[in-house]
Amino acid sequence: MARINQGGAPMASPEHDSGQLPHFVRSFGWGVVAWLPVIILLVAWEVVARSGTVTPFMLPTLTRVFERMGSELVSGELPIAVGLTLWRALAGFVIAAVLGIALGLAMARNRFFYWFFDPIISVGFPIPKIAFLPILVLWLGFFDLSKITMIAFNTIFPVVTATIVGVYSVEKEIIWSARNLGTSERGMLWEILLPAAMPQIFTGLQVALPIALIVGVLTEMAMGGYGVGGSMQTASRMADSLGVFAGIFEIAVVGYVMVKLMAMLRRHLLRWHQESQEPTTV
Amino acid sequence: MDSAVLDRAAAGGAQAANAQIVIDRLSHTYRPAHGRPVLAIDDVSLTVGRREFLALLGPSGCGKSTLLYQLGGFLPTETGTITVDGKKVQGPGPDRGIVFQHFALFPWKTVRANVMYGLQRMSLPKAEQERRAQEFIDLVGLSGFEDSYPSQLSGGMKQRCAIARTLAIDPEILLMDEPFGALDAQTRHLMQTELLAIWNRSPKTVIFVTHDVQEAVYLAQRVAVMSARPGRIKAIIDLDFDRRDPHLTKSKAFVDKVDEIWELVRGEAIKAQAGKA
Ligand SMILES: Nc1ncnc2c1ncn2[C@@H]1O[C@H](COP(=O)(O)OP(=O)(O)O)[C@@H](O)[C@H]1O
Ligand SMILES: [Mg+2]
Repeated sequence: MARINQGGAPMASPEHDSGQLPHFVRSFGWGVVAWLPVIILLVAWEVVARSGTVTPFMLPTLTRVFERMGSELVSGELPIAVGLTLWRALAGFVIAAVLGIALGLAMARNRFFYWFFDPIISVGFPIPKIAFLPILVLWLGFFDLSKITMIAFNTIFPVVTATIVGVYSVEKEIIWSARNLGTSERGMLWEILLPAAMPQIFTGLQVALPIALIVGVLTEMAMGGYGVGGSMQTASRMADSLGVFAGIFEIAVVGYVMVKLMAMLRRHLLRWHQESQEPTTV
Repeated sequence: MDSAVLDRAAAGGAQAANAQIVIDRLSHTYRPAHGRPVLAIDDVSLTVGRREFLALLGPSGCGKSTLLYQLGGFLPTETGTITVDGKKVQGPGPDRGIVFQHFALFPWKTVRANVMYGLQRMSLPKAEQERRAQEFIDLVGLSGFEDSYPSQLSGGMKQRCAIARTLAIDPEILLMDEPFGALDAQTRHLMQTELLAIWNRSPKTVIFVTHDVQEAVYLAQRVAVMSARPGRIKAIIDLDFDRRDPHLTKSKAFVDKVDEIWELVRGEAIKAQAGKA
C-alpha cells in the first residue's frame, strides 16, 4: 500500500538563532537593557537621597535600606515575615483556585448553578471585598483564618469568571469529536473541557496570584501581627521609615518572583498552547 | 458506462434493497441567539447503500457540513428523519466516524495521543491500541511527528492527523467533511488512493463532502449535487469507472463526466454568489 513519507525533523524543536556571541552573553546583555529603567530609577533615588534635598527620614538612601534588609535577614525577622505573608497569600490563593475552578465548571455546565451564582458573582466582583474585613474579624478572629479567608474571597472572582469563559469558548466541534470518539458525559468535563479551557483558566490564576499577595499585605496592615504588612505598620508607628521601605522592597521582590514562577509554570504546563510560549515582560 | 440524472423521488431507488442510511425529508434551521433564523438544508431525501461511496458536492454555504452533522447525530433533527440500519439517529455513535472540516483535534494532546484517544475507549488490549495508532499515523505519513502537538503542525498535517484518528476506530460509516481540503495536490492524490484502498479492503460506507468536482468523480460511485442555500439535492449522478486504470483521469469519458457535473455545480455556485450579494 502506498504510504506518504515526509522527511524532516519535527517542527517541535525551536530554532536556535545563530550569532557571534554565545547565547548566555546575549541574553545577559538583553537582561541589562530590559532592566535599565529600574536601575535608572534606583540610581536616581540614591542620588536624591544623598543630595540632602529631603531628610533621610522621608527618603533614606538605598544603601541603608539594603543594610537594614541584610540585618533583618541575619536576625531571622525577614524570613519569618516574608514566610508568613507568603504562606497566607498562597494558602488563600490555592483555596480560591480549587473552589473557583470547581464553581466555574459547575456554572458552565449546570443551569441551576449558573442561575444561582451568576448574579452573585456579577455583584460581588466589583465590591471592595476588604470592606468585609471588620465582620470577618468578628466571625473568625484576628489570626490566619480570617486573613486567608479574606485573600481567598478576593481572588476567587477572576478564577471563576476565567473558568466560565474558558469552558464556553471550547469549540463545539472539539466536543463533538470527543463524543464521536466515545467520551462519556463524566469524561467530557475532566478529559475535554478542563484541559481545553486551561489556557484561559490559567490566565485567571495569573490575575489572582498578585491579588492574593496584595490582599495578604493589606490584611496584615489592617490587623497587625507578624508578616510583612504587620512589620511595616509597626515600623510606621515607630517612625521607622527604614523599616517601611525595607518592607516595600521585600514585597516587590516576592511579588516579582511569584509572578515569574507562575509564568514559567504556564509555559511548562501549556507546552501545547502556542500563545503561552510567547515570552512575557521581564 | 451508464449514468443517469435521477430526480429526487427516485433517488437511491436502485439501492433500496441494500439501504443503510435513509434520509427522509430532512430540513435544518439554525436559530442563532441574535439574528434571523437560517434555513440551511431544506427537504433533503437521500438513501445511501451499504458499502457505498457517495460524494456530496455543492457550493460553499449550501449546507453540506450541516447535513453531515445531522448524520453524525450532533445536531437535533427537527423536521424529517435519518435512520441508519433501520434505527433513528438520536446522537453520535462509534458506528459513524466523522472527520471534521476544521479538524477538531485536541490541541493539548500530541499526535499519538489524539489517535490513541478513540482507541482507548474501545475494549482493546494496550499493545493493540498502540499498534493501531502507529499503523494509522504511518498510513497518513505522520511518522516522526508522533510527539508533536497540533499547534506545531501545518494545516495539511493536522488534517491527516484528524483522518488517522477517525480511521483508527474503524467505523462502519465514514463521514468526511472536505477531508483533503488542506492538502497540497500531491499529498491529496496519495490520500485519495489510500482512502480508496481502505474502502476496497474493509466494508465501509463513505459519505465524502467536497467542492472539488474531479475529486468527487474520481472517488465516488454516486455524486449528489446540492443546490445553493437552502441546500436541496439537485441531482444524483451514478458513476461506473474502473479506478484501477492509471489513465482514468485523462480518459474522455472521465473528463466529460467532470464537465457535465461541473456545469450543474457552476449554476449553483453562481446562485450562491448572487445570494450573498
Ligand atoms: N451555527 C450557525 N448559525 C447560523 N447559521 C449557520 C450556522 N452554521 C452554519 N450556518 C449557515 O448555514 C449554511 C450552511 O452551512 P454549512 O453547512 O456549514 O455549509 P457548507 O458546509 O456547505 O459550506 C450557511 O449559509 C451558514 O452560514
Ligand atoms: Mg462545510
